[in-house]
Amino acid sequence: MPEQIAGQIIKPDLNFVKDIIASGGESLKKCYQCSTCTVVCDVTPGETPFPRKEMLYAQWGLKERLLNNPDVWLCHQCSDCTAHCPRGAKPGEVLGAVRKMTIREYSAPRFLAHMVADSKYLLLLMALPVLLLLGVIVGRGVTGIPDGEIVYTKIMPVPAIDVIFTAAAVFAVLSFLFGIRKYWAAMKVGTKAAPRGSLAEDVVAVITEFLTHRRFRKCSVTQERSTSHLLVFYAFAGLALTTTWAIVYLYGFHRESPYPQYDPMKLVGNVSALALLFGISLVVVNRLKNAEKAGKGSYFDWLFLSVIFIIAVTGLFSELLRLGNIAVLAYPVYFIHLVFVFFLFAYAPFSKMAHMVYRTTALVFARQTGRDR
Amino acid sequence: MDKNIGLYICTGCSIGESVNVEKIVNIGKNALRVPVVKSHFALCGKEGTGLIRNDMQAEGVNTVVVAACSPRVKYEEFDFPGCIVERVPVRELAIWTQEPNSEEAQLAAEDYIRMGVIKVQKGDLPEPYLMETVKSILVIGGGITGMTAALQAADAGYPVVLVEKEDRLGGFVNRLHKIGKIPADPAKDPLIADSGIENTIKAVESNPKIKVYKSAKVEKTEGQPGAFDVTISSNGSSETVRIGSVVLAAGWRPYDASKLGHLGYGMPNVVTNIEFEEIARQGKIARPSDGKEAKKVAFVQCAGQRDPDHLPYCSAMCCTTSLKQAQYVRQNPAAAAMILYKDIRTPGNLEYFYKAAQNDPGVMLTKGEVTGVSEADGGNLYVEMQDSLLGGQVKIEADMVVLATGIVPATADDPILMLQYRQGPGLPDLDLYDGFADSNFICFQYETRRTGVYAAGCVRQPMNMAEAQEDATGAALKAIQSVEHVATGIAVHPRAWDMTYPDPYMQRCTSCKRCTEECPFGAIDEDEKGTPFYKPGRCRRCATCMGACPERIVSFKDYHVDMIGSMLKSVSVPEDEDKPRIIVLACENDAYPAIDTAALQKGRLDPAIRIIQLRCLGSTNLVWIADALSRGVDGMLLLGCKYGENYQCHFAKGSELANYRLGKVQETLGRLQLEAERVGMIQLAIDEYDKIPSLITGFVERVKEIGPNPFKGF
Repeated sequence: MPEQIAGQIIKPDLNFVKDIIASGGESLKKCYQCSTCTVVCDVTPGETPFPRKEMLYAQWGLKERLLNNPDVWLCHQCSDCTAHCPRGAKPGEVLGAVRKMTIREYSAPRFLAHMVADSKYLLLLMALPVLLLLGVIVGRGVTGIPDGEIVYTKIMPVPAIDVIFTAAAVFAVLSFLFGIRKYWAAMKVGTKAAPRGSLAEDVVAVITEFLTHRRFRKCSVTQERSTSHLLVFYAFAGLALTTTWAIVYLYGFHRESPYPQYDPMKLVGNVSALALLFGISLVVVNRLKNAEKAGKGSYFDWLFLSVIFIIAVTGLFSELLRLGNIAVLAYPVYFIHLVFVFFLFAYAPFSKMAHMVYRTTALVFARQTGRDR
Repeated sequence: MDKNIGLYICTGCSIGESVNVEKIVNIGKNALRVPVVKSHFALCGKEGTGLIRNDMQAEGVNTVVVAACSPRVKYEEFDFPGCIVERVPVRELAIWTQEPNSEEAQLAAEDYIRMGVIKVQKGDLPEPYLMETVKSILVIGGGITGMTAALQAADAGYPVVLVEKEDRLGGFVNRLHKIGKIPADPAKDPLIADSGIENTIKAVESNPKIKVYKSAKVEKTEGQPGAFDVTISSNGSSETVRIGSVVLAAGWRPYDASKLGHLGYGMPNVVTNIEFEEIARQGKIARPSDGKEAKKVAFVQCAGQRDPDHLPYCSAMCCTTSLKQAQYVRQNPAAAAMILYKDIRTPGNLEYFYKAAQNDPGVMLTKGEVTGVSEADGGNLYVEMQDSLLGGQVKIEADMVVLATGIVPATADDPILMLQYRQGPGLPDLDLYDGFADSNFICFQYETRRTGVYAAGCVRQPMNMAEAQEDATGAALKAIQSVEHVATGIAVHPRAWDMTYPDPYMQRCTSCKRCTEECPFGAIDEDEKGTPFYKPGRCRRCATCMGACPERIVSFKDYHVDMIGSMLKSVSVPEDEDKPRIIVLACENDAYPAIDTAALQKGRLDPAIRIIQLRCLGSTNLVWIADALSRGVDGMLLLGCKYGENYQCHFAKGSELANYRLGKVQETLGRLQLEAERVGMIQLAIDEYDKIPSLITGFVERVKEIGPNPFKGF
């Protein structure tokens, strides 16, 4: 069995149980603790296996034990457990809910985390970039679709973009740093383990693992997921490269966009965009296909998928419509694209996007404390 | 009756090709002097039975020996009312279990047919024992079980007398706040509902066929099924009513929680599940110490149960009760219930109840061994649990603890029935069932060791309300069967067709009282001088008395000591010392059917054996052993049912008594200067047919090792 909790006084927290259920772990209560989940799991370590103990913590309402637990991030939601659960308790979904709650718990400010997790604040959250960007456009005196060749800087000058998105990124990074610090401290308390060894080495090791999706590839029930996820992962990497490249062009070589299609940066950008669209479509298709076995996912999951999907589609269409010279559509689509990119960036610490940061943190912590084996 | 015997040998089922039928016909005609001996290629067919019927008309045959297949098949074809009919299983015992066309098969067929003819020669046509009977049914206990039994019997047209010890009907259900209900739609329907017991009470009290005595108890029960005289005392007066049969539905009481100090009983906020019902009935769940509403209630399952120091058994209903009571707690949406269990046991469809209850986020279910309850601050409690699912010892904080205590049957320390029987006022040997009025569950649901008394509900086994009602219906049906059978002079289960009854030759009785002591059903009482007399209505016709009687005075029309003795004395005993002869006495309920099945599987049996069916091994009279062995038979093997705990004996004690008597056979064998090992007994269940060939061979080998019987050839 996992760690002893000798002498511990257990005060089950009904509200926490309700919270997990509300966060997508509706099936939690069905678990009768047979441990089939842990047995079929391909990614669990041998010493402190999951997800059975997490199912217990969740049923018992042991909030702290779940939220300061790196193991929930070792789970890649392969859903082998969910597919094999004899009671339909969907441990994969429950762990997904716990991860969502972890993000909510450690990301600051907390009110934003609550808003991102709740569909009723969606329009409010969306209103911020819409108003910001509209403000820029109106401030420039643009009142309609600009004439002439389609150049997006006509409505949205580069400095404005730089200011808004840099601010969003800085906010996200700060929030993440704050979250990582809190989470790291909480995990030390929760696991009663002291991190050991070279931090840099372990970070490199975790990132190397991400590059190959080595752990993710062990999943059996939803094996295709690792491929589609890998595609999205590299698409994002490609787009990050493109962005950096563009910055270099602009500020290093003072070359203004738009750039010709044969430009190597353009090539990388276009390939990455197509990869993102294809990858995210695959993710959606796989999710729908596996809904029976793996659960249908929560609002939290679908919001994230939708945002990426919309970004990919609007990004590609911004380019196509520009090349096709359909100004009346091109500018609005570009506007939507920017709104969603802002949404993704600014709310990253509170949305599912945060998984990349918390998973990295947890995996590094797991390596540092030898929990990973 | 002047018997005119007809012997009919079937040559079908390859009997004709496997033995010399002509030779058997000659033996029948010449050696056995049977007037009509015929063979036919398919006796069970229309033509075959027509042949027999024709002989009845034309030749006046009134006693038929059918040498064909087992009596356990084709019984409708060979049913000839008004005639004595004996079925000799030549097919099973001589053809299927022996080498066809061998000397052994031929000899076996001849022996079995000879025994069959002797049996009918010694037997007689049964006549029923008729007496004046009533068909009213006494129900003891006015809880849900008793009321259901009363209503069922009344609906079937039988007058019912219902005796309830409290001043109102309803029993334990009166003390319940709500009852659990399996929801049709777990998402919407509540798990608890009103019991509706008032409707049942009203139905009973307004039923013209049911007479209810409240604040009443049975003072004494005399007589026998069909004619019990039951004295009922109620509110200071007594009344004696005549009763046909009894449904015992006396119910249960909760286990004494004062013995559960280790689980915290005695602390103000630790209550039993029964006390918790009382608290819930008051409205909100107010804890006793300060009246504050309990918001974290821990339920400790198996409190004083499945525990050798308290109740060793599972009370079957407490898991469901706690799941139900968790709903009382959950009427406040902010309150939580924690159920701490060894195993959750929700039998049958109650699994759905469990599943529905489990989905409630405010019901925490977890496994572990509760080791104690200690006080925490502010009147709260810690429940200490080890072997929890997280491995370690944990303490769970609660503001109230409910102990799921178990049930103790009313019969645990009270005879209830107050029978005026020589063997005592209550049901015997209930320690086999921890005091419950139960019996072997496979064969005899509701049966007790007192004929005409059928137990139902929690006095029989721990069970829930739905099961109790089903039980009540079953027991009512058994009670009805009992009065009907007694009225026509036939036995009840297991010999429910049997019209014979024990008919002792009293002039030779020495009043040794073995029969009155050994009768498993207390059917024999004694007069002032100690002379036994039968109450035939109580008798189940096992003939244990016949086996017990040293004077051999007990006989039935178609079953007596001389009959079986003559049969086994007619068996051939080979002179050849390498060919032993062993008589197997087989119980008709388990052992013989098992042999039939072994035969059907074509399991070869050692040719040394000759099998004789007995009503019960309890009817084995030791004189048979002396008779057989003094004739040169090399050994005797008794095949009977399992006895003791989990007994399978259809007469409860028969095989056990046979074994007890075998312990005394030493004396007889010593007198004959024979080895005790020549006589053995094996307990055999009906499904152990596959073991029979090797068991028999093993016994034959042991007898062979001892060597031939020195009386051989005398």
